[in-house]
Amino acid sequence: MSSARQSTGFAFIAPLLVLMLVAFNAPIAYMLGLAFWDKAHGFTLEHYAGLLEAPVYLRVLGNTMRIALVATLANIVIGYPLAHWMRGLQNRARLVAIALVVLPFWVSILVRTYAWIVVLGNGGLVNRALQWLGLTDQPVQFLYNELGVTIGMANVLLPFLVLPLFAAMIRIDDRLLQAAASLGAPPRTIFWKVYFPLTVPALAAGTLLVFMLCLGFYVTPAILGGGRVPMVSNLLDTLINQIPRWEQASAISTILLIVALVIFAAYRRLDRKASAT
Amino acid sequence: MKRRTFVKGAASLPAFSALAGAAAYAQSKEIRMIESGGKSGDSIEVGYIEPLTKKTGIKVIRESPSSLGKLRALVESGQTSTVMFELGSGVMVQARKLGLIEKVDWDAVAPAAMFPEAKNEYGFGYQYFSTIMAWRAGQKEPKTWAEFFDTKAFPGKRCVPDYPHYCLPFAVMATGVPADKLYPLDVDAGFKKLGEVKRDISVWWKAGAQPPQLLKDNEVQYVICWSGRVVGDPAFGMNFAGGMADLSYFGIVKNSTPGDKAAAYKLMHEMSLPENQAKAAEVISYTGPSPELDPLLPKDRLWQFPTSKQNKAVQWFQNAEWWADNGEAVNKKWEAFKLNL
Repeated sequence: MSSARQSTGFAFIAPLLVLMLVAFNAPIAYMLGLAFWDKAHGFTLEHYAGLLEAPVYLRVLGNTMRIALVATLANIVIGYPLAHWMRGLQNRARLVAIALVVLPFWVSILVRTYAWIVVLGNGGLVNRALQWLGLTDQPVQFLYNELGVTIGMANVLLPFLVLPLFAAMIRIDDRLLQAAASLGAPPRTIFWKVYFPLTVPALAAGTLLVFMLCLGFYVTPAILGGGRVPMVSNLLDTLINQIPRWEQASAISTILLIVALVIFAAYRRLDRKASAT
Repeated sequence: MKRRTFVKGAASLPAFSALAGAAAYAQSKEIRMIESGGKSGDSIEVGYIEPLTKKTGIKVIRESPSSLGKLRALVESGQTSTVMFELGSGVMVQARKLGLIEKVDWDAVAPAAMFPEAKNEYGFGYQYFSTIMAWRAGQKEPKTWAEFFDTKAFPGKRCVPDYPHYCLPFAVMATGVPADKLYPLDVDAGFKKLGEVKRDISVWWKAGAQPPQLLKDNEVQYVICWSGRVVGDPAFGMNFAGGMADLSYFGIVKNSTPGDKAAAYKLMHEMSLPENQAKAAEVISYTGPSPELDPLLPKDRLWQFPTSKQNKAVQWFQNAEWWADNGEAVNKKWEAFKLNL
């Protein structure tokens, strides 16, 4: 009986499964395999050896991780207080706040990124305001450096952190906080001992999601980085489209994939430990 | 190897060559090309495709953009729908070395007079473009590359190409190397020069539209850019002297059908005619390969074109062979250099 139900269930998902296998998994496996397989010589590791000989590509990967980390931290610093503040709002104000957070999702990433040029450029809104207020004489260089890339990435990715965090925060029972207060805990203790631990799983999941998305960012570093912020996706573009050394690109992608999987595995481990206690 | 000897042997049989001849005449009624898009694509449509369709009824479907990666994917997947592929000069040499394009049958093209570098064994050089220095109008005007890279005497932010083959040669020239002694390129001298001024280079551009926009926004004051992006706009000053002339080619995608190739050669013939090139130059300020083009161009715009006599004489020509051999190694150094900005 149950096996029959299982097989009908399988029949329902089979089309999607086949589509994923044929249109997504198989090409990816083929691309990753390119680094190991040479039409003329068969199995080879020379593309990985090449990476070790000329570590510049690995350094680009390291640079990418560093910027992803900075952008993720910026996201947390902005996103956590924002989600917390949204939790305290009245119903209607909360709806407006959620709409404002979600709104950027509906605007093309390209448009959002170009908008920063208008806002942060030498003759942009922010610099004009700063000069009008007499805070600076010279325009502050926000764009075409790591600062610009970080601002742009944090902006694009903020909803990915705020929404899960907000969902976890509104589930926290106010009575828990009241109980802690009635037992004499000062607000700071209530926050760190009761409130914050309840948000940690959502914070960790959101952080991980944002970090992973940062690793693959292409448009924002390309436009706001002014070519001064080498990131791995832009390097892959050069290797795939210009040179074209797909084998080398494949080796770098494999390493990127492994790094992402290791981080994900570490997260799962921590998560399981946390839920076990 | 075996296949080649077979073809050679077969071609000597009269029956086979008659067959091949018949196939060449059965040209396709519709062919596909992949080109770089934008205004350049429009100029192909107006200048060459419209006259071809009028004369022969052959239709040409354009797609864009064209990257070497796309060409490799086309050929390796074994598809034969696209016959013409636009390639930069260095990219054409790379494509030839990777076996992605076929020889052009120049007898079938039967072109009008062309500059010799445009008549390549593997490609039809259809569009000249120049990489030159330009600046925001009103800035102090540099005359040489040494002056362009002298950020003390010519203060202002720079924007230069994020492509070693469009940027490094100028940095080497700034160290005093004359254009005719440029190759083999002293890469390290070029990086040294760029390193000296890297604080004043705000943006390394990837898209040709960036430098003019950054000049207009006053983000930068001096740029190295493609001539067609700045000529004719009073907001910019520019100088062709010491600039690099380069050619975009059309190559024939490997394993294309004989019918498609026959139609493509017809289009190439249209591309060689100066009157068609003059039409294309109305759309974009880049010019075709005819040495007889100047009299057909508007006199007041002659100074804007890469091949007009006054400009062709003061520029030098890109060394595509050198870049095809050294491009990948230089690119690694380029990435390393940019990590230390």
